[in-house]
Amino acid sequence: MPHLDEGTLHALLDGELELDEVKEIQTHLGTCAACGSRLQDVKQFLAEADSLVGALETPAGAPKVRREPAPPPRSPLAPPAGTEPWREPIWDSSPKILLPEDMEENTRRRRWMTVMRWAAMIVLVLGVGQLARSMFTPKHPELQLYEPDVSSSTPTTSPPVVSPQERSTPASAAAKVARPTQAPPSSPAPAPAAPEPKVVAEQPAADTAADELDSTTVASSPEDTASSPTQVAAGAAAGAAAAEADRPDSERSSDTPRASQSADAATRRAAAAALEELDRERIRARANAATASLPPARTDPGPAVQAAPPPPRTLEQRAQVYLRIGLDEAVKQLGHPAHVIEGMTPQFIGLTQGRGVPGADPARPVVRVVYLDTRGRLILLDQQRMQPGQAAPASGSLRWAVGDILLYLHGEPGADVLRNLQPRVR
Amino acid sequence: MTADLTQLFELYYESLVRMLYRRTGDRDRAEDLAQETFARAVAAPPNNPRPWLFAVALNLVREDGRRTVRQGRRLELLRTDDVPATGPDVDLERNERSALVHAALATLGERDREALLLKAEGFNYDEIASTLGLSKGAVGTTLARARRRLVEAYRSETRGKNAAS
Repeated sequence: MPHLDEGTLHALLDGELELDEVKEIQTHLGTCAACGSRLQDVKQFLAEADSLVGALETPAGAPKVRREPAPPPRSPLAPPAGTEPWREPIWDSSPKILLPEDMEENTRRRRWMTVMRWAAMIVLVLGVGQLARSMFTPKHPELQLYEPDVSSSTPTTSPPVVSPQERSTPASAAAKVARPTQAPPSSPAPAPAAPEPKVVAEQPAADTAADELDSTTVASSPEDTASSPTQVAAGAAAGAAAAEADRPDSERSSDTPRASQSADAATRRAAAAALEELDRERIRARANAATASLPPARTDPGPAVQAAPPPPRTLEQRAQVYLRIGLDEAVKQLGHPAHVIEGMTPQFIGLTQGRGVPGADPARPVVRVVYLDTRGRLILLDQQRMQPGQAAPASGSLRWAVGDILLYLHGEPGADVLRNLQPRVR
Repeated sequence: MTADLTQLFELYYESLVRMLYRRTGDRDRAEDLAQETFARAVAAPPNNPRPWLFAVALNLVREDGRRTVRQGRRLELLRTDDVPATGPDVDLERNERSALVHAALATLGERDREALLLKAEGFNYDEIASTLGLSKGAVGTTLARARRRLVEAYRSETRGKNAAS
């Protein structure tokens, strides 16, 4: 064999020679001192040259690398002679096509969503408050009983109230007209002494009932939610007097204020809850519309934005493959045909980022052969050509080396399944 | 395709800027050239992206396209006032070794230099060959010559500097 030329020695040290060539050269080097000496020189030049080029890092402290393309010249500026004119439609239609996940943009979007959410909350609170006020603004003096002071009220001065049963008999309003002298609400007669302390004593009970209603406003009874404000008003106005007239004084003085207060509060809260639910629906729809254009991974999982389910992931996304490649490209990447699992048909071959594969060179892509087993689970066979001097992983695990190719078998099935597959990798 | 280009951008942009900076010694210009390269990738998405991107970038360094890049840069200067006044010369002065290496690289032939810079970015011989239009067999020889000349030129620069000081 003739002496080795410098190019061959560099190719040898760069790991670019086939196995048979390497063996041939090793045999020659074992017998030729001149070539052995030249190999030492070449090693030194190679290491020094790589170190010199490696010293030329992009200056530190410089402004951060822009993450988007520079804007194209605007139309008033003619493109320079001898160059391709700018393709305005391309720029106009897809200036963001090269944008990776832009953190600033996402922060802006999130801030905007937060502002929108707060604005929606304020509108909701104001709207519900306004509606509640307009609903319950008294048209009759008898209806001024939203915050009745039970402890200070007496049967004679307490305004007419209505119980749910009485609300269903609006016709009894005629009774009030027919028997005006019997109607005690307007009567200045003193109240019986006995009921008054009872009312005071029962106030906590009434409060408790009101509290319970507070906590269960949405789950109020259907009759309550179904009653419209006008029904309530009419019922209260018409039925109150009749009820007062028909019922015994003892009942009137204690039961009626409490029952009517509870019923009234329940109705009011049910109506407010229904309105709140309506508004919530509207806000949810608006939030969904506003976030529809956001990538699903970046969607804020706030309560108002949860409605839309994420779209199904493609196999490429599941396998984290950013580019599908053909066999020829795999050969270019690896220097050999890609390794495969014997007896299994790959779904496709693709490239994934080296930094996502343990043990791989993070600066270079990794060739990933993607399989699906019979149960639809992903099996990934990663492969990357090792750099000269790169340590091969310890054998026995699912990461091993064949020649200068680093292999890593992993996926969704358990390690025992993968270990069974490992001997079939060719 | 959008996702692919986004991935390409993420994967190769920094490497491309680094190679272009090593080639030109001008960080701003390197970034402009890299962005121009990706702009062309939008117009004509490549099948074999890495060699394609680096070949286009090296062509841009060589050809008259640099005027386009400068035009874009002037517009950007008009747009933002906070562009630092420090240029590549300041960076070079700041790093004496970098200046010497740049000077040594400048003594190399165009093809030798480009092969060396591509190798430094992890290109294998096939990729270097397809990027530079060489045969694979010539890559080893080209790299051997480039490495030897770079080291010799650097040693010579260092000697000259030491003698001058």
